[in-house]
Amino acid sequence: MVGESVGSYSNVLLMFGFACAAMVPALIISRMISPENKKQPNPVKTLPMECGQVPSGAGRTHFMMQYYAYVLMFVIFDVMAIFLYAWGSTLLDLPRTATLPIIAFLGIMFAAMAYALYQSKRKDIW
Amino acid sequence: MSVIAPKFRLGYFLKGIFDNAFWILTIVTLAGIPLIQIVLFYMDLPVIDGELLTAFLAFTWLFNPTMQVPLIKSLLYSDLFRIAAFPGFGFAALIAAGTIFVERKMLAKLQLRVGPFYCGKIEGLLQLAGDGLKLISKEIIIPAKADKPLFWAAPVLFVGTAAAFVALIPVAPGGWVVADLDVGLLAVFAVIGFFPIITILSAWSANSKFPFIGGIRALHQMVSFEIPLILSLLSVVILTGTLNLSEIVESQSNFPWIIFLPISAIVFFTAMLAELERIPFDLPEAESEIVAGWLTEFSGMMYGLVQLGSYLKLYAFAALFVIIFLGGWTGPMFWPPLETELITTGTPIPNFKGDPVLTVFAPGLPLFDKDPNEWVLQEQGELQYTSGQLLINGVIWFVLKTVAVIFFILLPRGVFPRIRIDMLLHIGWYKLIGLAFVNIFIALGLVYAGVLGPGGIM
Repeated sequence: MVGESVGSYSNVLLMFGFACAAMVPALIISRMISPENKKQPNPVKTLPMECGQVPSGAGRTHFMMQYYAYVLMFVIFDVMAIFLYAWGSTLLDLPRTATLPIIAFLGIMFAAMAYALYQSKRKDIW
Repeated sequence: MSVIAPKFRLGYFLKGIFDNAFWILTIVTLAGIPLIQIVLFYMDLPVIDGELLTAFLAFTWLFNPTMQVPLIKSLLYSDLFRIAAFPGFGFAALIAAGTIFVERKMLAKLQLRVGPFYCGKIEGLLQLAGDGLKLISKEIIIPAKADKPLFWAAPVLFVGTAAAFVALIPVAPGGWVVADLDVGLLAVFAVIGFFPIITILSAWSANSKFPFIGGIRALHQMVSFEIPLILSLLSVVILTGTLNLSEIVESQSNFPWIIFLPISAIVFFTAMLAELERIPFDLPEAESEIVAGWLTEFSGMMYGLVQLGSYLKLYAFAALFVIIFLGGWTGPMFWPPLETELITTGTPIPNFKGDPVLTVFAPGLPLFDKDPNEWVLQEQGELQYTSGQLLINGVIWFVLKTVAVIFFILLPRGVFPRIRIDMLLHIGWYKLIGLAFVNIFIALGLVYAGVLGPGGIM
């Protein structure tokens, strides 16, 4: 049954919901008992932390674009690694000849990875 | 400049108490009781001794000695108990609290200090409770121009995601796990994938430079170490042929996988340290460079929640290491099996003349056996144990192993310095992925050479 197999996942969501619901009262109680001068709010207190200086410029600074190539590699490689699990979990039931295409897949995967890493090192992106 | 009691007068004090009591009673009768009725309507209540348990019956049976045990037993086997208490949140939070205590004392001993000493008289036992009180009574300051909904939600989501990770961890034989999934390991990877998102969102929402730099570093680090983390566990899956975590534990009843796959364990442990942001990989929270990394703007209880979440995550990762490489709850039994007569027919207790006057049914652990009339005897080898005995034994072994792994996670904090971020990323991308690649072929070799798997040892 489809519903039964989905039902076993619901406990993960329930646990997530339980933890979230149990943590919200902690924040509310903290708000209730903490000292806070609401009549005369101090604007200096809510400044972003910049080691005592008055902050300059926008808080959301630049992303480091040099890592973007690595993130792209991650997106591709991560999905390929998960595909390997479908093969790995059924390996004992498969005939031995089925391993050869997977080794070719591994070869393509890691050769491409090694080439990308070699290029990133040559162009000095970390 | 807050004054605790500006004008104290007994009349005002009593009036305050009566006012509060009045409002509490009014709100409970008008809103609380209908809410409880609505909730009870949608819950499927257990049937005990042929009677459907209602709220009224539950309150009655609480004071009836013969009905207390079935009542508690039905509670123990409910989903709520699993989620809130034993394999779920309460158990994990208890181990997390113990971890914080051990971390403080152990680091102090490593650095020739005494650590927390005065709070709680005995070795600073109550220091954690004191810290919790301090954090909860502090004001929560939100930086100006922060994205408030995201900023408030981030600590709660962090704890929730860590708890969802804990939900996948089996701790004892007999299905003591919150969510027993067929694809447990993939679900673990799916949950781990949420941590970088929460980190980067909270860092972005704070509108401050230090959290943003820390969040970017956390993202880089988690991205670079997630691939070795995933690939290093592939070898175990190849050898066991299953993704269910309970079955992975049961496959190690003879040998833990760390004996055959030490490279896998080393890669996984290193990637684990990086995912947990612990020294030597704690660049996202590097105190000496970027004030507190992505935690800089969190104050008061929000910081406390993030810490709770990170220690829950630490427990979950250590437990995952134990489950996959150290054999989980498997281990020799501590106690001999109970006599079958003791459970089924009872023990007669003689009086001073030698006549049996009282028959005592002394089951091993009555709360943990599902049916009181039909004791579930589980066969393990030649000896027979009750499921309660197996549970207690399994939990003891599991906790012992988890504590040992947590010790090795905490140890580098007192021993190693922090490393540079480009070195960190180099380790993740170049060395660990290479080792994980080699490791897949070690597992394949073990299967095809006939050492393990069908025809081999296991």
